[in-house]
Amino acid sequence: MKLGRIKSTLVAVALASSMATAAVAEWQPSGPIKLMIAFRAGGGVDTSARLLAEELTARHGWEIIPENVAGRGGAAMAAALKDEPADGLAIGMTAMDSLAYGVLAAKNPGFTPEDFTYLSAITGTQTGLIAKSSRGWKNLGDVIAAAKAGEEISAGAMSAKLADALYLIGQANGVEFTTVMVQGGKGGLNGVVADDLDIAWAAGPQTQGVKAGDLVNLVSAESAPLNISPDAPLLNEYNVEFTFGTKFGVVAPAGLDPEARKVLQDAIVEVVNDPESKLNQFITRAFSGPEPIAGEDFDAFMAAAREESERFLKAVE
Amino acid sequence: MGVFEYVWAGVMAVFAGPEAFAIFGVGISITLLMVAFGFFLGIVIGATPGLGGPFVMAVSLPVLISIFGFTPDALLPIMGFLVGVMKGATVGGSVPAILFNTPGTPDALMTTLDGYPMTKKGQAGKALRTAHFASASGDTFSDLVLFTTAPFLAILVEGYLGFAEKAALIILSLSFVAAVVGASPMKGLIAAFLGLLIASVGTGEDLYPRMSMGTDFLANGVPLITAVLGVLIMGEVFSSFEQMWRDRRTEAATAEIPQSGDNSLSFRERRKLMPFIGVSAVVGTVIGALPGIGSTLAATLGYATGQKMHKGPVNFGEGTPEGVAATEAANSSVSGANLIPVLSLGIPGNVGAVFLILAAESIGGFNPGPSVFRFTTTEVNPELVIAFGLFTTMMFANILNWTFGGQFMRWVGIMVKIPKPALMPIVFLLTITAVYVQETSMLSVYFLLGFGLLGYVMRKIRMPILPFVISFILAGNLETALRQAFAVSKADPLFLFRSPLSVVFLALSIIVVIFFSRGKKSDPKMTSEVS
Repeated sequence: MKLGRIKSTLVAVALASSMATAAVAEWQPSGPIKLMIAFRAGGGVDTSARLLAEELTARHGWEIIPENVAGRGGAAMAAALKDEPADGLAIGMTAMDSLAYGVLAAKNPGFTPEDFTYLSAITGTQTGLIAKSSRGWKNLGDVIAAAKAGEEISAGAMSAKLADALYLIGQANGVEFTTVMVQGGKGGLNGVVADDLDIAWAAGPQTQGVKAGDLVNLVSAESAPLNISPDAPLLNEYNVEFTFGTKFGVVAPAGLDPEARKVLQDAIVEVVNDPESKLNQFITRAFSGPEPIAGEDFDAFMAAAREESERFLKAVE
Repeated sequence: MGVFEYVWAGVMAVFAGPEAFAIFGVGISITLLMVAFGFFLGIVIGATPGLGGPFVMAVSLPVLISIFGFTPDALLPIMGFLVGVMKGATVGGSVPAILFNTPGTPDALMTTLDGYPMTKKGQAGKALRTAHFASASGDTFSDLVLFTTAPFLAILVEGYLGFAEKAALIILSLSFVAAVVGASPMKGLIAAFLGLLIASVGTGEDLYPRMSMGTDFLANGVPLITAVLGVLIMGEVFSSFEQMWRDRRTEAATAEIPQSGDNSLSFRERRKLMPFIGVSAVVGTVIGALPGIGSTLAATLGYATGQKMHKGPVNFGEGTPEGVAATEAANSSVSGANLIPVLSLGIPGNVGAVFLILAAESIGGFNPGPSVFRFTTTEVNPELVIAFGLFTTMMFANILNWTFGGQFMRWVGIMVKIPKPALMPIVFLLTITAVYVQETSMLSVYFLLGFGLLGYVMRKIRMPILPFVISFILAGNLETALRQAFAVSKADPLFLFRSPLSVVFLALSIIVVIFFSRGKKSDPKMTSEVS
């Protein structure tokens, strides 16, 4: 009886004091934050991550150390981040698809989607299927017609998913493309420009060439028209019910304290949304622009992405 | 933007780039400062036996990247510094070769043949002036060739080479390096395959780590810069530790020879040297432009060609300025032309170019390859501006070389007096620090020491290092090109033999190995490309 009272008093005191501190001061990182980047140094995502770090440091005084853990389409970073303590001092920026399609398609990636706390999306790709303007094709329909007329069409893809997408597009339209895997965001672009490939996926680097009129976006792989080629048709016009764009976002290891999660995701969303921030300006130029999705919305977004990936994998099989 | 606007933008990127500081309101560009710093440091290091340009590049690259960061703004200062070191070390390498018969860099080995006899005759000053004049001429010539041909060649090469031809060309490059560097082409080939094998760990297209033996340790592959520093620099350090331990009783002081002969180099004498310099510069430039062959071979060939041309009273090898000029013009004209395959294909031919590629790969924003030379008119192609900026830094280094280089190099003869037992531990610690600064993990230090051990063993069994390093760097490109060629051929097993050009490349790569396997003299001094 007496012992029980002491216990409950202690619990009450502990509760009260923890609530008091929460009310007085928000969660603050207890040391430098490691920001793991799932891409090679120097690329668009890497630049975005470093700008995010710069802005967070400027606004909150947090010390943030960016570190590139590139490889295997984001799986290398995810496997490394999973094992970090969930104290808010280790976060990672990645293509969200690596935690949806990537987990489902890999044989044994070494992590599951439940190993992470999803903080916020930042921006998205502007994926389109491109060709040289000099080929005379205006949209994907022209390419399909050329393939039906007996022309061999080689197509570049920078991920397994986009390769599967080519297969699916071909299947839905009664043609077959020769798929060639290319390296990174620029691989397909270089292949098309050098006439090594007829068409290729490109997730943003084509902007310059399209504006100059050398390249054309044949179709948008996103759920909406592309910013630079609003006239390019969507994939559903070619009997394909899936889209193949992805978002880039920030995650932390699973089990992150909700208070820390809130502080971190709010800080990220603030930077993404501020038109004055370098990050906002960069993603407006290089990607689809600011697309913050945080907290439960982000969880729901990821659940939906995984569900679509499952359907997609079934369709490809 | 037209061609000249691109050139101008490149020049401005160097001169009007980010400022280091301002004098009387005029900003001094950080890039220019880095080029000058690299150049003079290169001369000093080149003149130090036991050290060389690669060492400075290796140690400073990780440090510079952590200072300047990963933005495209970092490219020109860092690459400018590397260019400066490359040029400075080439000039500086001849100093100890001429004064003390110890080549500061392997390229300067042939310089000892005539340079040191000239010193013995009391003409050290003349030999140094000859070396500098020939080196600066050869270097400038080769740079001019680079500026005029690289853009056109890159576009041409890209137009004619498909995936299969690219794969075959990389194979040809690798077999060239394997066959040409070192005493035995077979050992070279083993080194090249070893490089490919180690580069395969943890890479590839699959979503799971390849060849990692289930460990997290290898899951992300072998860190590129760390591995290259390990075999190139640490291996050399370990070898010199052993050498010092062996030599500890025979500590012979290098004696300076009093100089009394004719030490000036008149305009007429310079003009008489011009045919030798001209021929050697062409030899060096041609060799440099071939992917995969380095400056040591250029020096040897330049010297041999000069020897055939020579009809003077003093024979080659007995201390004639023509011998020094022929060697120095040849080995100095490699570095510029070497950037032709680097910029048009991403294939390096010598250690200096290896570090330029490493810099570009680590920083990003500049992918050596045909896309660099796309003269887009409506939008600016930033990579092309960087390329012309790089050319500008080379020209600036040449100007430094012509104006201050000669005087500076005559001062650094003193570097040879630095004892190796003091030098090597410093190199050892500096290299570890440099790697740790970039990777900030003890794991990379273990990798470094492991690869150092590998480099040491390779040196012990006289296996050349360069084929290993170059194949390690090109492995990813080779695999990609092969996979793409295979895919685009619709899984044709003979995909590499379907185009005449790729068959020619493949045939050449076999012929090269056979040719160099026959009657190759095993000269132990030639086995190491790096010092």
